[in-house]
Amino acid sequence: MDKENLKPQEPTPPEPINDSKFINIYLVPILAVVTALILGAFIIWWVGGNPLLAYKGLLQGAFGSVRALSETTVWASPYIFAGLAVAVGFKGGLFNIGGEGQLAFGAVAASWAGYALPGIFHAQIPPILHILLSVGIGMLAGAIWGGIPGYLKAKTGAHEVINTIMMNYIALNLTSFLLNGPMKDPSPSNVIARTPLIAESARIPAIFPNYRFHWGFILALALAFGVWWLLWKTRLGFEIRTTGLNPDAAKYAGIDVAKTIVIAMSLSGALAGLAGAIEVTALNYRHELGFSSGYGFDAIAIALLGKNHPLGVVLASLLFAAMRNGATKMQFLTQIPVDIISIIQALILLFVSADAIVRYIYRIRTPQERVVYTRGWGK
Amino acid sequence: MDLKRSIFITIIVAFLYSIVILIGKDTTQPLIILTSMIATTISVATPLTLGALCGTFCERSGVTNIGIEGMMLSAAFFGWLTSIYLNTIYHVTPLPSLLIGVFVAILTGGLLGLLHAWLSVTFKVDQIISGTVINILATGVTGFLNRQLFFEKGSIFGGNVPHAPGTLPIIAIPGLSQIPVFGKVFEQQPIAWTAIILVFVANFVLFRTRWGLRTRAVGEHPRAADTVGINVSFMRYINVIIGGCLAGLGGAYFTLESVPSFEPLMTNGRGFISLAAMIFGNWTPLGAWAAALVFGAAQAFQINLQFFRDLIPPQWAFLQQSYIVGLTPYILTMIILAGLIGRTTSPAADGTPYEK
Amino acid sequence: MKTRLFAVLSFIVVLSMVITGCAPAAAPAAQATAAPAASAEVDCTKADSFCVGLVTDVGKVDDKSFNQSAYEGLKKAEKELGATIKYIETTDSKDYGKNIATFAENGYKVIVTVGFALGEATIAAAKQYPDVKFIGVDQSQTDVIPNLSGIIFDEDKSGYLAGVLAGLMTKSNKVGGVFATDTIPPVWRFGEGYRAGVKSVNDKAEINIVYHNDVGLDKTFVDPEWGKTTANSMMDKGVDVIFSAGGKTGNGGLIAVAGKSTADKPIYAIGVDADQYYSVPEAQKVLLSSAMKDITPAVFDNIKAVKDGTYKGGNFVGPVFLAPFHDLDSAVSADIKAKLDEVSKGLKDGSIKTNVAPTKPG
Repeated sequence: MDKENLKPQEPTPPEPINDSKFINIYLVPILAVVTALILGAFIIWWVGGNPLLAYKGLLQGAFGSVRALSETTVWASPYIFAGLAVAVGFKGGLFNIGGEGQLAFGAVAASWAGYALPGIFHAQIPPILHILLSVGIGMLAGAIWGGIPGYLKAKTGAHEVINTIMMNYIALNLTSFLLNGPMKDPSPSNVIARTPLIAESARIPAIFPNYRFHWGFILALALAFGVWWLLWKTRLGFEIRTTGLNPDAAKYAGIDVAKTIVIAMSLSGALAGLAGAIEVTALNYRHELGFSSGYGFDAIAIALLGKNHPLGVVLASLLFAAMRNGATKMQFLTQIPVDIISIIQALILLFVSADAIVRYIYRIRTPQERVVYTRGWGK
Repeated sequence: MDLKRSIFITIIVAFLYSIVILIGKDTTQPLIILTSMIATTISVATPLTLGALCGTFCERSGVTNIGIEGMMLSAAFFGWLTSIYLNTIYHVTPLPSLLIGVFVAILTGGLLGLLHAWLSVTFKVDQIISGTVINILATGVTGFLNRQLFFEKGSIFGGNVPHAPGTLPIIAIPGLSQIPVFGKVFEQQPIAWTAIILVFVANFVLFRTRWGLRTRAVGEHPRAADTVGINVSFMRYINVIIGGCLAGLGGAYFTLESVPSFEPLMTNGRGFISLAAMIFGNWTPLGAWAAALVFGAAQAFQINLQFFRDLIPPQWAFLQQSYIVGLTPYILTMIILAGLIGRTTSPAADGTPYEK
Repeated sequence: MKTRLFAVLSFIVVLSMVITGCAPAAAPAAQATAAPAASAEVDCTKADSFCVGLVTDVGKVDDKSFNQSAYEGLKKAEKELGATIKYIETTDSKDYGKNIATFAENGYKVIVTVGFALGEATIAAAKQYPDVKFIGVDQSQTDVIPNLSGIIFDEDKSGYLAGVLAGLMTKSNKVGGVFATDTIPPVWRFGEGYRAGVKSVNDKAEINIVYHNDVGLDKTFVDPEWGKTTANSMMDKGVDVIFSAGGKTGNGGLIAVAGKSTADKPIYAIGVDADQYYSVPEAQKVLLSSAMKDITPAVFDNIKAVKDGTYKGGNFVGPVFLAPFHDLDSAVSADIKAKLDEVSKGLKDGSIKTNVAPTKPG
């Protein structure tokens, strides 16, 4: 690790926007997206599709109407939470591949709290309280699911990459067990492995009738700000970032590295758990056995695309959400496989991170400083 | 791989085997159960071993590789595609088609290794990003091409999946395979044999040759390696490409050795399990192989226990729940890692680009 | 530097215009062969059009399993009824409603939804779009909605027949079953029906049934390697008839049997859903039969019913039966064939019950 990196980057004071900053921060990513789309167009054209129609469908499906916009935010909410989760991990020098499991467990826990708590207390729970309890329990479950690998890493040095992968599979099996057995919706007509519907009092009310746009998206945006504030404005954030950049230096600086690792992983897990809890309380009102939608893995790409910065994560989530949401209309119009979306997403990630390629194509000067996103899993 | 680790792993595998044998002994001969479990263990472990070897080569030279999954998936697809293409369009006989398919699979893995090296060594793209790009790209490209080539009516094969040329033949070790019952263990397909051989070759190369020494030097302390005249970038390029070829062979296992068909996402996360096996094995080929065998044994445990579900004594009723039994490999891994093996040490410069 | 940048930018804009502009010109040639359905745009809102849309479950339309079987029904409708057909693949369960609505709002007359997981979304859509006819594959209807017909199958009966066949054919008295999952009720019913069928004719037989539960639902049908490993493991223990069911996972089991069966010690495989003699040619020489649950004709018949005006809502029970024995016809004795006929009749008239619950009890 280079000497300069020992010093965590303090928030840079606002400076007048000059050309090169504009180019580096905004233009290069935009050009990367444009380049990926052009390459994608070539692929569509090559297989006999109509790229213009495909992209028209993509745009219409993602932004073409109020409903389309609303659906894009529905896709974006879990992406933002899960993307922030991975980003917080990366900032702490931890690679959390376990978003998938933390999310599933958060969803299971939140739905349990949503349908079972009134029965346990033998009483109606006031809506606000019940919502907070459900979401809170979901977050807690995620925090535990992320915290265990964190604890094991801090105490025994067991690698968090293995343990988060293992915890994914454990969550998958346990969720299947619970949703097929103890937590299965007991209504006689139900054949699906899913929980009962959560109580009305645990449901986050819709904002607009007939649209699925929900408070979760607003919460996600607020939380992105919260994560930024936490990471760059608080002592804890400073400790997480310092530990992430160089644990040895952090130790010399008097930071309790073990504790910081546990906190960072728990926080990461809590955010992923929240993604699951919000899907349950604001959208589906129950948890259904996953055809895993791959949020946990998409979240890695989103965090990397957003350069582990909360604002970047929000933008990357919106981009991914728009593409996933617009894919329906695109497929309806052109009948090309939705896999094209994955190809374009991979290319975007490639060009945004390998900005040297984009700079070379468009002859843009390379900046002096380099940004470190992750540190692999060296010490 | 140290003695402590080998003993623990042997005990765990023996423990898993004996539970099943104890439960099933009333209806089936213990030797038959044992043979069947070992055979399952070996075949499940094959792609994991190769994937973990891929990771070991890459990371020993200082390049993190989370793209193993994508490398295996792409290799599985293109190897299979080549074999049916040759067999169906050019009427090449099955065996050469399959062998050329394996070669193309290895080549595919190698090319993706080259891409990974190019991005992470030359462009100094974050290595996790580069690996993630390979994973997403592999999912997209294989799914997309699979659809375009085989599903649409105008495709070259007329919208149908053509009859695949089968799978690689079983190679039985003369003598050993003649042993009654247990001899079945010595009847394996070529990639399974190759994987085992490659474990020892890799171990020799990494720890007993000049090349291995240089590789490890580049992964541990690239600056020092550079000062003594080792070309850091070159070493990293070659090792990542070697790794890619190994992952490619692992990919070939899925479509050319195991079953003669391709499915989108058919690698099912085994690339990530390989990654875990590599770390579990402390970045050594022998350790990685042992870890892959533990996963294989756990899978054999799970499958075989289901056969004897009705024989499970009531006090062990939890073993009847397949989801609970399904937790075995994962919980085991975590316990071993946390309690018995403890700290693993990655190559010091793993994941960091080298800047002169 | 700036000017060069803008030069490059404008080059891209022009390039993208050229690409998109010339694509329609170039595309028809390719499309004519690649996707005839997409090339001739039909206005589905017009009264004389007959547009049929298919929404898949989370899974692909080329899954060689129930999504594809249903789509084959649409393709048949395209050929024989002149229907305009399109599909949308669902990537996440939260899109079910949106994907169905995309067809409904574009004037599609018939919408086929595949998989029991879409059941509720389909009911909601049927109520919202009363003029559109819905066909739900694997969706049992408790209340009759006039514009929604649920295609269901008694998989347990089909599995039962396979079980009778296996129980009578086994020499080693060990039979096996390799199933993709017990979470999806139709697959579970196949498995348990099979178990009951074997027991009914051969109560001494040892029944090895394994469900693939350790991966997610999106993986469980597409893991042929697991199917093969599991079937191999069974054969190592002396199992000589294997019923292998569940998409590609099941196919892996069939292929494994083909690899292990020898002339002096034959091992038989039984396929599922469609006649797998045709879909898994690798297993032809060991494939005894297939437990049929033929989605394709059921979907086609329902579409045709809409065209003919004979369509009605409620449940449409598709036929279940065993596929022909093909190459192994001579291996199955006349007694066994007679017994199968008898059981088949009994299952139809209700005198034989499989006693399999509609779904796995919690």
